[in-house]
Amino acid sequence: MKNKYKILIPFVFLISGVVCQDVDQFFKQNCSSCHTIGGGRLTGPDLKNVHERKDDEWLKKFINDPVAIINSGDAYARQILDESRGIMMPKVGGLTPFIVQSLLDLIKEESAKEKSKYSGSSLADRVLTPEDIIIGRALFLGTTVLKNNGPSCIGCHSIFGEGQLGGGLLGPNLTDVYGRLGGKTALAAWLSSPASETMGPIYGKHPIDEKEVLPLVAFFKEKGKSNISEAGMHDFNFLIFGFVGLAIVLILFDLFWGNRLRSVRRKLVKGKAL
Amino acid sequence: MDIRSQISMVFHLDKCIGCHTCSIACKNIWTDRKGTEYMWWNNVETKPGTGFPTRWEDQDKYKGGWELVDGELKLKSTSKSKTITNIFHNPTMPTMDDYYEPWSYKYKDLFDAPAGDDQPTAKPISMVTGDYMDIEAGPNWDDDLSGSPIYAENDINLDVLSDEQRDQLFAIERLMMFYFPRICNHCVNPSCVASCPSGALYKRGEDGIVLLDQERCRAWRSCISACPYKKTYYNWNTGKSEKCILCFPRIETGQAPACFHSCVGRIRYLGVLLYDADKIEETAKHPDHELVDAQREMILDPFDENVIREAKKNGISESTLKAAQESPVYKFVKEWGIALPPHVEYRTLPMLFYVPPMLPVMSAQEGDSVRSINEEYFPDFDKARVPIKYLASMFGGGNESHLRYVLKKQSAIRAYRRALTVGDIDVLEAEKALVEADCNPEEADKIYKLTSLCTFEDRFVIPPSHREEAIEMMKDPLEHKQEVGFGFNDSPERGM
Ligand code: SF4
Ligand code: SF4
Repeated sequence: MKNKYKILIPFVFLISGVVCQDVDQFFKQNCSSCHTIGGGRLTGPDLKNVHERKDDEWLKKFINDPVAIINSGDAYARQILDESRGIMMPKVGGLTPFIVQSLLDLIKEESAKEKSKYSGSSLADRVLTPEDIIIGRALFLGTTVLKNNGPSCIGCHSIFGEGQLGGGLLGPNLTDVYGRLGGKTALAAWLSSPASETMGPIYGKHPIDEKEVLPLVAFFKEKGKSNISEAGMHDFNFLIFGFVGLAIVLILFDLFWGNRLRSVRRKLVKGKAL
Repeated sequence: MDIRSQISMVFHLDKCIGCHTCSIACKNIWTDRKGTEYMWWNNVETKPGTGFPTRWEDQDKYKGGWELVDGELKLKSTSKSKTITNIFHNPTMPTMDDYYEPWSYKYKDLFDAPAGDDQPTAKPISMVTGDYMDIEAGPNWDDDLSGSPIYAENDINLDVLSDEQRDQLFAIERLMMFYFPRICNHCVNPSCVASCPSGALYKRGEDGIVLLDQERCRAWRSCISACPYKKTYYNWNTGKSEKCILCFPRIETGQAPACFHSCVGRIRYLGVLLYDADKIEETAKHPDHELVDAQREMILDPFDENVIREAKKNGISESTLKAAQESPVYKFVKEWGIALPPHVEYRTLPMLFYVPPMLPVMSAQEGDSVRSINEEYFPDFDKARVPIKYLASMFGGGNESHLRYVLKKQSAIRAYRRALTVGDIDVLEAEKALVEADCNPEEADKIYKLTSLCTFEDRFVIPPSHREEAIEMMKDPLEHKQEVGFGFNDSPERGM
């Protein structure tokens, strides 16, 4: 009997090996969009030596469900939220206790290094040019397809003044995203591996190419300059469009079925011509 | 000749007392289920009046029946192309309001109300929505409301009258009314059947009863617009349409339909008619005023040797032929010619016939007052309280001569019977009047008997149904003979 289980032992090692590699991947896909280790803050804080600021117990809880901790009124969590200009860390999908522990180990290990491989990309170092804005706009609108075949931004997001009918309404309006996420570096990091529950699974397989990130950032920066109060106009246009469409449909209905039978009795009782 | 047999009906309007027993009998048997609350397969209307659904006779609105377009019969409501364009929205459906919103009352309030100065009331509740509602109309809202400036005024048959005639009709001394009970006419050229995109409606081969297959119906509701008599109804609960089935389970067991059986006035007659199916189209194509005659022409003499031979060839059984010979309907419609189809101008060739009412006709206006006619044998029909035009619009396809014929014959028979029983009229004179009305004492006797002294057996001559033969029309009864249960999956073998 026992011999049977022996066969499994190599597999156990194999699986844990896979997991180790996965943690590295996991960090890149889920964390690095907002955090560096030793590279300064992006949208979220720098994670270097985070284990010295808070104990493991707390960190584990926070990683598992940041929203709950923030909402529970935890003072430190509130402080982080303020520092991040009110942007909450989303709940990360696919966490297991094993992965959480591995993540903490990884952070500890990397914190000790002088230069961690997670200290942020140098992607955002280049200066933004006016051409970037044009390319970025095309990428946003989908007139240029993203290199790795990811869906264009406009499918889910709208932005002031772009697209005839505005964009999608599934994701947040991106007009002021540049300011919201805290500027070029942070936004570039986010776009490199968007980690939210909706975007993560989509762009995990079709990431935005390195060369596409900065043009998008440039475009968002440009858009961020527009007056936000005008943004409402767009919704108004959409509403008008809706009404016009409705009117056209109703007119068509009336053309098709204008001579349909309408109430006979009521007219008769009210003395109207039948 | 393609002879078929049809169970058909005669309603003698002079005898109807408007008691609605027939409607209730039908409702209790067939339409007291959820979704059928508003249906009245049998209903009784007051004429002049707008009926149920309101003003159903207005085919400009409801688009029921057939029309002649360039010598071809076309459905008014639909066509092949319209079936496609209107399949999801049938534009000529009566609204619920044109029928009525069925309701009940919250009777519980009568028991639960706290003690107070006022009597508790039971509020009306819609049987469709379950909410409180204001009752605005009912299936018989204008019952006995002849003269009503809303309902009676809008009777479409009054359109044929001159303004003067109309005014006179609504003068209080001249007010008149009669009752008009209606069921599905089990037409020979049914527009409901023709309109159905699913082929759910069919006319039973053996007795011509028009039925609606509940399994095939797909809720397109074409039949509802197409039937000019508005006698198919949509069940909002099951999503299928339903209609009068002429109580076929009763007919098959030799009983009269419930409305016939329960009729208090004994106005209803039922029996077999034989007709020539080859002539249907040709008949329905006649101009309006010839339609009554054409339809009569189509109905065949069950005593004719030739007809009997052809009928047998077509599988009509001896017993059905015998029933056809004894049929009271045949007598009223063909022999005596005093029963007329309703609104024959819809061209569905209805197989329910009406003996038009005498009573309001019999009195005529004289100066300012109304007097009953008895000293003359024939009242001046042009001065009669029901203008003959009005009746012709309902029962003659606009042709007044049929109405004159029927009314004349009936008044002659009355006078004759009066001469015999009361004796204040000279019998010889009365007999002369009979002849003048295309009648004779012998026939007058028969009509009198079947009208006034009829028994169950006289009124309802129901042929044995021969379901076993009817089934043969559709499938071979021996089809499954020698088969075993559901058959074998693996055929049995000997050994292990
Ligand atoms: S009266 Fe009956 S058979 Fe005739 S069209 Fe209407 S539903 Fe059909
Ligand atoms: S039961 Fe007979 S008498 Fe009474 S309303 Fe019906 S048809 Fe007329």
